[in-house]
Amino acid sequence: MSIKDKVPVTILTGFLGSGKTTLLNRILSEEHGKRIAVIENEYGEVGIDQGLVINADEEVFEMSNGCICCTVRGDLIRVLGNLMKRRDKFDYVLVETTGLADPGPVAQTFFMDEEISSEFTLDGIVTLVDAAHIDQQLGRSDESSEQVAFADVLVLNKTDLVSDDALDILESRLRDMNRMTRIIRAQNANVPIETVLNLSAFDLDQILKRRPTFLEPEYPFEWTGVYDLDAGKYKLMLEEGPDPEMSLVALVNQGESEEELKDGAESSVRLYAEKANSLNPGNTIPYGEHINLKLEDKGNKSFIMNIEKPTKIGLFTQHTAKEFNMKVIKCIENKEIQFNTERFWQAEHEHDDEVSSIAIERFGDVDPEKLNTWMGRLLSEKGVDIFRTKGFISYSGNPRRIVFQGVHMLFTAQPDKEWGNEPRRNQLVFIGRNLNEKDMQEGFDKCLI
Amino acid sequence: MPDIEPFSPRGMFHEGWTAEVNDYAIACGWALKGKQFIVGDVAGGLFAFEGDTGKIIWKKENIHSGGLLAMAIHPEGEIFATSGQDGKVQICNCHEGKVIKTLNLGKSWVEHLKWSNDGLFLAIASSKKVYVFNEIGEDKWISEDHPSTVSAITWSNKNELATACYGRVTFFDIVNNKTNQKLEWQGSLVSMELSPDGDIVACGSQDNSVHFWRRSTGMDAEMTGYPGKPSHLSFDDSGKLLATSGSERITVWSFIGNGPEGTMPGELCHHTEPISSLAFSNKGMLVASGSRDGSVVASFLKDDGNGDPVGAAFAGDLVGAISWKPDDCALAAVNAKGVVNVWKFKVRTNLFSKGFK
Repeated sequence: MSIKDKVPVTILTGFLGSGKTTLLNRILSEEHGKRIAVIENEYGEVGIDQGLVINADEEVFEMSNGCICCTVRGDLIRVLGNLMKRRDKFDYVLVETTGLADPGPVAQTFFMDEEISSEFTLDGIVTLVDAAHIDQQLGRSDESSEQVAFADVLVLNKTDLVSDDALDILESRLRDMNRMTRIIRAQNANVPIETVLNLSAFDLDQILKRRPTFLEPEYPFEWTGVYDLDAGKYKLMLEEGPDPEMSLVALVNQGESEEELKDGAESSVRLYAEKANSLNPGNTIPYGEHINLKLEDKGNKSFIMNIEKPTKIGLFTQHTAKEFNMKVIKCIENKEIQFNTERFWQAEHEHDDEVSSIAIERFGDVDPEKLNTWMGRLLSEKGVDIFRTKGFISYSGNPRRIVFQGVHMLFTAQPDKEWGNEPRRNQLVFIGRNLNEKDMQEGFDKCLI
Repeated sequence: MPDIEPFSPRGMFHEGWTAEVNDYAIACGWALKGKQFIVGDVAGGLFAFEGDTGKIIWKKENIHSGGLLAMAIHPEGEIFATSGQDGKVQICNCHEGKVIKTLNLGKSWVEHLKWSNDGLFLAIASSKKVYVFNEIGEDKWISEDHPSTVSAITWSNKNELATACYGRVTFFDIVNNKTNQKLEWQGSLVSMELSPDGDIVACGSQDNSVHFWRRSTGMDAEMTGYPGKPSHLSFDDSGKLLATSGSERITVWSFIGNGPEGTMPGELCHHTEPISSLAFSNKGMLVASGSRDGSVVASFLKDDGNGDPVGAAFAGDLVGAISWKPDDCALAAVNAKGVVNVWKFKVRTNLFSKGFK
C-alpha cells in the first residue's frame, strides 16, 4: 500500500491542562469534510463534541528482551487494528495521550507493528505546552521534556497568561531542546488546523520549506550591535541580567551589510574559541579579544571603551543587549549612543536542558556501508537517548537522495526524489538526551567520501 | 486490492455459492449442524444463509452501535452470541436471529466470546475483566481486573477458563471461583490456543515469538524468529500439530515425540501477503489458510508439520475469516469487501481421513 492510501495519524501530547481537549474540539468542529476517529486516553472533564471517539486505557507493553524500542502501546494496536477494518468510514485518526505519556512507545507502534504500519502512517506529533507552567514542568518530569523532544509541532498555549519577554525566553529554551519543531503561539489552543494536521512531518522537504533556517549554524553569541562612534571615551553600561557574567568580543571597523556582519561573526567565532580574559567593572575593553565581563555587582556596571579615531564598533555579545539593558554612553556629554544596526544570531546555548538537538550538515557523498556501520553503532549505543532522527543523505552512486527518519533505535531509510542539478549534501538532525555533538560530527565526517 | 490475479477454485476446492453482506466481514460460523452459515460484518450487520445454497434466511442490521467485534456460535448450533463496541452481548437464536437476551457489561468494547465445549457457559472478555454467563444469560462468575486488557480467552475443560493478557496466562475454576494456575511471561500475548486435551498452552507474542507451556510438567519454551507477530494459531484435533503464522508463511510445530523443542518446524509458503486467518479442519490434518492477498489454500500435513497444498481458491480480497463446515465438506471464507464464498471441498481418492465423504 502506498503512503497516500494509508490513514494519517496525529498524536496530541501535552500535560494535563495544556489544552489538548480544547484543540481536539476545535479540530473536530472545523474539519467538517473529514470523518475523524479519536482515540482518547485521558478522560478529561471537557467532553469531546463529535466524531467517533474511542476511550482506551493507555497500555504500555514492554517486551521480554528489555529493548526500549520494542515497547509499544497495546491499546493503540487493539483499537487501530479494529478501526482499519472500517477505513472507508473515516479518513483521519487523532490520538490524545495522557499528560504523563511517553511519546516513544506511541510513535514506535507505527514502526514496530506490521499490521498497524501497513494501514496507518504517523503524520506528526503535536505537543501542547502551557506557557505559564512548562518551565516548572520541564524541571520536574522527564515526560515533559520528552514530549517536547518528540514534537513536530509545539503549540505554546495560553500565551495570554505570560509576558512577551518570558515567551521569547521560553521559546528559545524549547527551540534549543528541539530544533526540528515548529513553534506556534496560541491562546486557548486557537491554532490554524492546517498547522497541526496533514503535516507529513516526516517529509523533509516540507520541514525545510517551513523553516529553511532550521539548520543554520549556531553561534556562541546571540546579538551584535554596530555603533558609529567618534573619537573619545565611552562607557558600556549594563544592568542586572540573567547571568552574573557575559562574554563579549568588540571589533573595530565593523561593517553593517549582512556580508560584513557574517565576516565579523566568523572572526568572533574564532576569538570566542580562545580563553576569555575576565574584566571587572571600570576596566577598559580591549578590541579583537574574547573577554568576560564580570557582572556580579548590584546595579549599573560600566566598562570603558576608548576610541582614538572615528570608527564603527561591532559588539558581539553572548546575550542580547536587551537582557542587560546594555547601553553605550559617551562620557563627556553623558549621552546614550544608539546602535546603527543590530543582528540576532541563532544562539548556541549552554544546554541547561539535558534534551537538545544536534544538526549535521555536510556537502558531498557518503559511503553507504560506512554510514550504516556508524548509524548502527550510534543507535545501538545511544538509541535509548536519541528520541528522533530526521534527515537526508547523499549516497555515492545513487541518483536519488535517501530520506532518514527514526524513533529511538528504529529508523527507515528510503530513496526520495532525484538530486538533479542540486548540489549533493547531507543533513541530519538528532534530538536526544546528553548527546555529544563533537563525537557525532566526527563520526559522520568519517563516513564522507 | 490484492495484487494477485483472480483464479478459479483448484484441486479439492470446487465452486459452491457466493453472497454478500454490507461491510467488512469479520466473523462467520456454521450453525444448525451445517444447515446454516452466519456472517457478521464490522458495522454490526448479521446475515444467515442456507448452508448448501447460500440463500438468505434472515438478516439484521446495526445490532451493535459502533460495530460488531465478535461472534460465537453455540456448540449445538441452535443459538449464538455477538458482542460489540457498545459494551453489549446479544444472545440470539439461529433460526430467526431473534435476540433472546441482551447483556450490558459497561462502556468498554467487548472483544472476545467463547462457549464452553459442553455449551453450558459463555465466557466474555471486555477490557480487563472476564465474565461467565450461562446459556440463558444468567451471570455465573466475574474475574478480578487483569493487569491489562484481556487479549484472548479459551476453555481448557468444562469448568476451567484460560485468559491471556500482557505478561500472563491465568486458569480460573469458574465454578469454585479460584485461580488454578498462573503462567507468566513478560510480553504482550496477542493470541492463545490450547491443545484439545488442554495440556499445551500456546501464545503468540507481540515480540514475534510463540510461547508454549505444558501444564502437566510446567515446562515452557519460546519459539522465536517469526517475521511478524503470530496472531494466528490453530491446533489440529489430535493435538499433534500447531499451525502458527505472523507473516505470509505458516510455521507448523509438531508435538510428536519430544518435539517441538529442538526440532525443525514445517513451513508452508503459499501466499504472497500475510495470513489473515488460519484453521485446521474439524477432523484430520488439513489446515486452511486465508491471506490478505485474497487467496485461500488448504494443505494436507504430515506428522513433521510439512505438507502440500491440496486445493486453492480466490476469495477476492483480504480474507477476514474462514470456517470449515462441521463435516469438513465445505470451507467458507468471508472477505474485507463483505463477499462470502463457500467452496465445496471434495477428495478425489479414498486415502484421506474418514471425515470426508
